[in-house]
Amino acid sequence: MPVEVILPKVDMDMETGTIEAWHVKEGDLVRQGDTIFEIGTNKAVMEVEAPATGAIRNIKAETGVPITVGTPVAWIYRDGEAQDAVPARAPSPSSAGSVPDGPAKSPPIEPAIATSPATAGLRATPLARRIARQNGLELAAVSGTGPRGRIGEADVRRHLDERRRCASPQAALAPVPAGALTEGRLQPFSAIRRIVATRLSESTRTAPHFYLTSEIEMSAARDLLRRLAARHERIGAPKPSITVLIARIAARILRDHPVINASAEGEATRFHENVDIGIAMERDGDLVVPVLRDAGNMDMPAMTREFARLRDGMAKRTLTPAELGGGTFTISNLGMYGVDSFTAIINPPQGAILAIGRTVDKPVGRDGQIVLRPMANFTLSSDHRIIDGVAAARFMADLREAVENPEVLL
Amino acid sequence: MPSETLEATGDVRELSYAEAVREALGQAMEADERVFLFGEDVGVYGGAFGVSGDLVHRFGKERVIDTPISELGIAGAAVGAAITGMRPVLEIQFSDFVTLAMEQLVNQAAKIRFMFGGKASVPMVVRLPGGSGTGAAAQHSQSLEAWFAHVPGLKVLQPSTPHDAKGMLLAAIDDPNPVLIFEHKLLYKTKGHVPAEAYRVPIGQAAIRREGRDITIVGSSIMARKAEAAAERLAGDGISAEVIDLRSIRPIDFTTIAESVRKTHRLLVVYEGVKTMGIGAEISAMIAESEVFDFLDAPIIRLGGADSPIPYNPVLEKAAVPQEDDIVTAAANLVRRGEA
Repeated sequence: MPVEVILPKVDMDMETGTIEAWHVKEGDLVRQGDTIFEIGTNKAVMEVEAPATGAIRNIKAETGVPITVGTPVAWIYRDGEAQDAVPARAPSPSSAGSVPDGPAKSPPIEPAIATSPATAGLRATPLARRIARQNGLELAAVSGTGPRGRIGEADVRRHLDERRRCASPQAALAPVPAGALTEGRLQPFSAIRRIVATRLSESTRTAPHFYLTSEIEMSAARDLLRRLAARHERIGAPKPSITVLIARIAARILRDHPVINASAEGEATRFHENVDIGIAMERDGDLVVPVLRDAGNMDMPAMTREFARLRDGMAKRTLTPAELGGGTFTISNLGMYGVDSFTAIINPPQGAILAIGRTVDKPVGRDGQIVLRPMANFTLSSDHRIIDGVAAARFMADLREAVENPEVLL
Repeated sequence: MPSETLEATGDVRELSYAEAVREALGQAMEADERVFLFGEDVGVYGGAFGVSGDLVHRFGKERVIDTPISELGIAGAAVGAAITGMRPVLEIQFSDFVTLAMEQLVNQAAKIRFMFGGKASVPMVVRLPGGSGTGAAAQHSQSLEAWFAHVPGLKVLQPSTPHDAKGMLLAAIDDPNPVLIFEHKLLYKTKGHVPAEAYRVPIGQAAIRREGRDITIVGSSIMARKAEAAAERLAGDGISAEVIDLRSIRPIDFTTIAESVRKTHRLLVVYEGVKTMGIGAEISAMIAESEVFDFLDAPIIRLGGADSPIPYNPVLEKAAVPQEDDIVTAAANLVRRGEA
């Protein structure tokens, strides 16, 4: 029997995954352990290895489409295994990009044909195939919930319902002028986009946010960064950024504010022992939050190096799910885009998130004089279920003190 | 269904399965003097299971004939009588003993009409008490109906209710071809409504015992009864099972099964005979080959007898054939999980 390649479960509580890219194409010979595709999960991209040595056949999973964990996505035929058990030419489904150099002989996909090669090798009941055929639906796009990923009638009907909902929103919203919502391009959420959407909706729904903003003078911080840059250059560490410096400061003072370095857990507050600081970043339009582990015990060179490693890993998609989740506090800096100040949505189940705006010279009063000073807005969003206004204000007071006199702390 | 119409107009009593068979025999003998009974202990003793009862007193030893212990002899005599214009109704004391009569039933009774270009026919009925559950062990407990369903020229019936037992026996006696009726021994004492008049239940017509949406359960004889009981329990569990009582396994009412599966999308076939190469295999294949295939939303599942001689130990005996619990479990799994 050919060996099934299934979509593996690579993260706890993972129900679906998305194949980001195939590294092999139909008919390729693979050795056990070769990377055959990349799977996008809870903010990470993982490489999946071939479970056996042989020829890859019947690649049936499209890239970019959520697939239920455990669903077979291809088969590996070992040496000597008959390939006529399943038509040998079964190509990847419609997404042309998934098999860039696919054999030219692959026939065009014809959704209405029952024996469409794309559905060969798929487990589906005759009734599911019949309904798919009648509706011009490519079965490869349907996730099967039956034994061994078999697609049944219910799976096809669910898929058709979803397709209808997506395809004709105006049907559900009668008053909207016809066509108003159907123009433009409809792009399904990526795996990460779905996670972000779910988690942030949950956060705004369940965590009552309140916001404290402080305008903090950045002269000393800038001065320190300049000197650190020189020192880091001498010791071969990357150049520190304002984000890393703030992370370092926040990590230090969070040790004195356990109620801020905490998470809501049901009807309890979990006070974390470590300070793990997530840094919100953007990658290809997606929000990802790599985490500086145990940031409370890192010095600046160590933190700068770790930050650089995370940033590179994120760009190369080599970070594990563990490196992309589980922080105790998050920092989001949009200052480099010229944003003056903003309020961020808490990254659940954390208790707070710090939003940093740009540093800009502003007139301020000092010793009875109006002088220009580099100033930045820091806005703390807190979950009022576990953090009260005074506790958040004390944290902001310590933050101001530390940012304005960083050397005292560091 | 013609039988239901008759039931509505006639005088209806509650009879046991054995009483219903006896009533059919008596009415057939009253109506047609060519009809006679033939078998081991069918006379004075009243039949091994008491089916013929007092018929010998009503119709005399000329028409209710106790025979020597020779199944081949009885069957051969019946074939000869049938060819010459009589309507013999023969009882094989335990259906297991029919092995001894195979030559007469398979090579003679089933073939003669064809061998003589339709100039001769063999209007005989063979009643065969069969099935397990009586603690009678491997040589007195088999379900051999599939053997005969494999023979063109024979008709094979398995009525499950007193009503059908009477109506199908009368239809079988009318039939110009050899008909074998397998009567499950455990059904003889079961009771049901039976019209007093002589009515016929057409051969080759299945009965839908219960309508349902989620799964079709096909069975005959005692398995149809178990399927009905299982369906009742499944309903309590939110599963709507349609139960088809085959009644006749040759000819088989494929249309009724197909229409049901087209509606429910799932099929469970239950039979007491050995599962391997059995009736369930035939029904599964008929559906798989037909255009109803496209309406299946799960594999077809067979529940049949174990690949074993029926054990004497009562616990093992029960375990060797499908029980109501097995049907409930298999049907629920098929509907909920898509496999048995």
